[in-house]
Amino acid sequence: MLTVKHLAKSYDGEKKSLTDVSFSVQPGEVTVIIGPSGAGKTTILRSINQLIRDDDGEILFDNTDIRQLNRAQLRQARCRIGMIFQNYNLIEPLTAIENVLHGCLGTKSNLAGIFSIYRNREKEEALKLLEKVGLAEFAYQQCRNLSGGQKQRVGIARALMQQPKIILCDEPIASLDPKSTITVMDILRDLATNDGISVLINLHQVDIARSYADHVIGINNGQVVFDDRIQALSDTAIASIYQKDANSEGSVVHEF
Amino acid sequence: MIKPENQISIPTRQPAGPRLSIPLRFRDRRRVTILMTLIVLAYITLATLPTMIPSHFKLGTALTSFAENIKIMFWQPHLANTTFITLLGALGQSILLAFLTTLIGSVLAFFFALASTRRLAPTYLVLGIQSLMAVIRAIPTVLWVLIYSVVFGLGANAAVVGITFHSVAYLTKVYADSMDELSPGIIETMQAMGLKKSAIIRQAIIPYMMPSYLSWTFIRFEINFADAIAVGAAAGAGGIGYQLFMSSSFYFNFHEVGVMVYMILAFALVLEIISYRLRTATN
Ligand SMILES: Nc1ncnc2c1ncn2[C@@H]1O[C@H](COP(=O)(O)OP(=O)(O)OP(=O)(O)O)[C@@H](O)[C@H]1O
Ligand SMILES: [Mg+2]
Repeated sequence: MLTVKHLAKSYDGEKKSLTDVSFSVQPGEVTVIIGPSGAGKTTILRSINQLIRDDDGEILFDNTDIRQLNRAQLRQARCRIGMIFQNYNLIEPLTAIENVLHGCLGTKSNLAGIFSIYRNREKEEALKLLEKVGLAEFAYQQCRNLSGGQKQRVGIARALMQQPKIILCDEPIASLDPKSTITVMDILRDLATNDGISVLINLHQVDIARSYADHVIGINNGQVVFDDRIQALSDTAIASIYQKDANSEGSVVHEF
Repeated sequence: MIKPENQISIPTRQPAGPRLSIPLRFRDRRRVTILMTLIVLAYITLATLPTMIPSHFKLGTALTSFAENIKIMFWQPHLANTTFITLLGALGQSILLAFLTTLIGSVLAFFFALASTRRLAPTYLVLGIQSLMAVIRAIPTVLWVLIYSVVFGLGANAAVVGITFHSVAYLTKVYADSMDELSPGIIETMQAMGLKKSAIIRQAIIPYMMPSYLSWTFIRFEINFADAIAVGAAAGAGGIGYQLFMSSSFYFNFHEVGVMVYMILAFALVLEIISYRLRTATN
């Protein structure tokens, strides 16, 4: 499904943020990336849909290297890659259903985008997805009036509207209370199990990873230091993932 | 979590002598420069003021005749050389001039703003367009109308083009500023979903900038109304400004000027009410 090989990235040309990162993600599985702050988790995730241009390596998505695509091809590939953010990034003045419908605009014409023209089938789909994330009665609410947990669920519905093969989540629960955290993680788990979508999540909470992940990738100082099933994630493995590296300033051991 | 370097620390550079109080900021050169400039300007003003007043000037006479004219304007307004209907038509002309220039200006400025916001445009376009607009803005509207009257002749055409010109420069700046305020993450999110640029503009940028678009456009309408009056007098563009010019400088009839001032004030009041409504509706 998604295979990353020898990925390398440096923002300033000197300090390497990623050195030779390789891993792969299976359909129907929740894969969690953990690692100390500044390790390179966000950099990996944003390289996958090329929001940042990496320096070297291969990112095979459906057997094509996403790094080699031209602008139009990249836009098409992005239509099938969902993304979920810590701060939701919804269009707050618009309603929940309008935000969800944005998910299908990538494959539609300029005119449809400019005049918000959607087929009835698409509107029904959007309502169905809002129902799926438990927000049916909020469809016509402005997103700025929703709570954090509700916003994140609108974000998920928007990603699902893309009919994605993979969903990338950059710390999706970092701003949420414990109850919303469970709701959001349950939905993401369900998408992998029942819809066969690959879910790739950056997390800081090891306990959440334990209860939801199939596979764990540990990153430290821009390198993969752990890549195994969740069952293999022992306390010593966690300690080595989070160990302070002399070279990586600002890395922090998270306590739970 | 606060890193040690982010914690508030007391400045290590202390003023000399015994420490009586902790200063809130260091003496910086900018504040000294500003103070010096103000002192110099104040001196120049005081020194040149006497030379500006003509020798035959008598303050007492001037004040009483000023009060007399004010009284004529505001307590005894009535018409002599024109009819109320004519003036109403002239006021309508000025309003339409302001409306037309604001409308054309805001549409053009919207596209210029898209081409010069840091959120969408490359740096060379941002710098290029914004500096060009700054130059256009630096020259007053009335001057632009006079410049265009070289091409079109004095009259309404030059007024429309000149006022529009300055409106575009003004609105491009404020629209682009409000687009710049949008968080880059929002646009990135839309790009990550594979949206085309047109869809991003329509679905993300416009919803966020709509309130400021409306209020800035309205402010510009008020400015254009004032400019339309001034231009009516200065460039013969017609409207209430031209009538004002005729009554005050041609007929010397301050009773009539009073009527027109009241009409303009009434319209300004209407604008104020609309803008208040607009503000409360969009917030
Ligand atoms: N835009 C940028 N410009 C320069 N350096 C950057 C940029 N973004 C990230 N970096 C650097 O790259 C490294 C990896 O950052 P990244 O954001 O991927 O870490 P992370 O694992 O997501 O951390 P966190 O858990 O705090 O989100 C860090 O050292 C960071 O300083
Ligand atoms: Mg991060």
